[in-house]
Amino acid sequence: MTIAAVLLALMVSAWLLAVIEAWLSTGRLRPVAPLLAGLSHLGRESLLPRKPDRLFFETAPVLLLVVAVLGAAVLPLAPGLVIADLATGALFVNAALAYVLVALIMAGWGPNGAYAMVGGWRFLGQLIAYAMLIVMPITAVAMRAESLLNTAIVASQASLWNIVYQPLGFVLFFIAAMALAFRAPFDLPTAPGELAGGVDAEYTGMRLAVLRLARLVLVITLATATTVFYLGGWHGPLLPPWAWSLIKTLTVAVSMLLAGHYLPRIREADLLSWCWKLGIPLALLNILIVGLMILVVP
Amino acid sequence: MSATQQYLLLLGLMLGTVGVVLCLYGLARSMGPTHGEPGKDVPASAGVLSRDPVWGRYHARYYGYALLFLAFDMEMAYMYPWAVVYKQEGLVALLDMGVFLAILFLGLLYGWSQGALRRQ
Repeated sequence: MTIAAVLLALMVSAWLLAVIEAWLSTGRLRPVAPLLAGLSHLGRESLLPRKPDRLFFETAPVLLLVVAVLGAAVLPLAPGLVIADLATGALFVNAALAYVLVALIMAGWGPNGAYAMVGGWRFLGQLIAYAMLIVMPITAVAMRAESLLNTAIVASQASLWNIVYQPLGFVLFFIAAMALAFRAPFDLPTAPGELAGGVDAEYTGMRLAVLRLARLVLVITLATATTVFYLGGWHGPLLPPWAWSLIKTLTVAVSMLLAGHYLPRIREADLLSWCWKLGIPLALLNILIVGLMILVVP
Repeated sequence: MSATQQYLLLLGLMLGTVGVVLCLYGLARSMGPTHGEPGKDVPASAGVLSRDPVWGRYHARYYGYALLFLAFDMEMAYMYPWAVVYKQEGLVALLDMGVFLAILFLGLLYGWSQGALRRQ
């Protein structure tokens, strides 16, 4: 029951995100369009490029979808509404999403195409840039909650959300989450208009549909993670807890879309520089500030 | 729910997701075969096969960062257990990890001064 509810929430959010994404780029609100687009892929040919690494080529879209779903499975949407409330939940989110890199490298290597290959290896550079900015802010969140249980992390924000308690961590995590989901200013591995789709370039038919669905679910998973770690999870007045989770998740996801809509794509070298020369010192500072606040303010 | 049950549940979820995708692939395949036409399977590269192996197209110019990344990634493995007991241990925990992080941060500054933090 819980599993069905969580998966339904995930799919509905992904669908709403797809509708809003199309609305932003075309200016027309067509709620059925994502479903039709998905169905239309059923009737299309799913080509296998010449001399592929078949195992990698087939695994990549499935792996991306699986890790996004696994990441979402440990994030609570309401009290009791979580598939598996692991004792190492916050760490598990990290561990699952580390495989996004593996999936993208596989998608890059598998089809034996130049554009895909460049996209895949580029994402490895992107991981080196964003990874620390995912794990370090989560550490500061765990310090306040004194636990890696995601439900305990939400409970620790009952009086004050982490976005107020550690705004620096929130900003860093939000940017890194966009880079992890390869959303617009950080869409280096796909880079439409520069890499001809990059890792997407050789996928057609149902495989492409799965890859696109996986990307949407990944964004929703990261938006849920942002909600759980920083926006107080299900806490909120009047409305039921699950509604607050959904509203916050969608708000985060849409703000990621909007940020990408108005910003130019960043260069890989610049991304690495900014993350290591500014991001990591700030993330360490965030840990120090949170540590002092925990000791000084009981 | 015990930890074993939770992980079994996650394993089930994983297998279920794979199953759904395989069903979709099966459904798509039942719609009709792929027609084999010449040149259709050439990867996107102006319609011709590339002369050189494609993996030669990219040079990992971020290797300076990658080496520093290894050090930081190892450090994060210690940070999580530390974060959980931080409030109990109090000032001792802050000083212990502070010294550790300070050394690591000095390493970052040293790497920066030696030009590790740029695209090689």
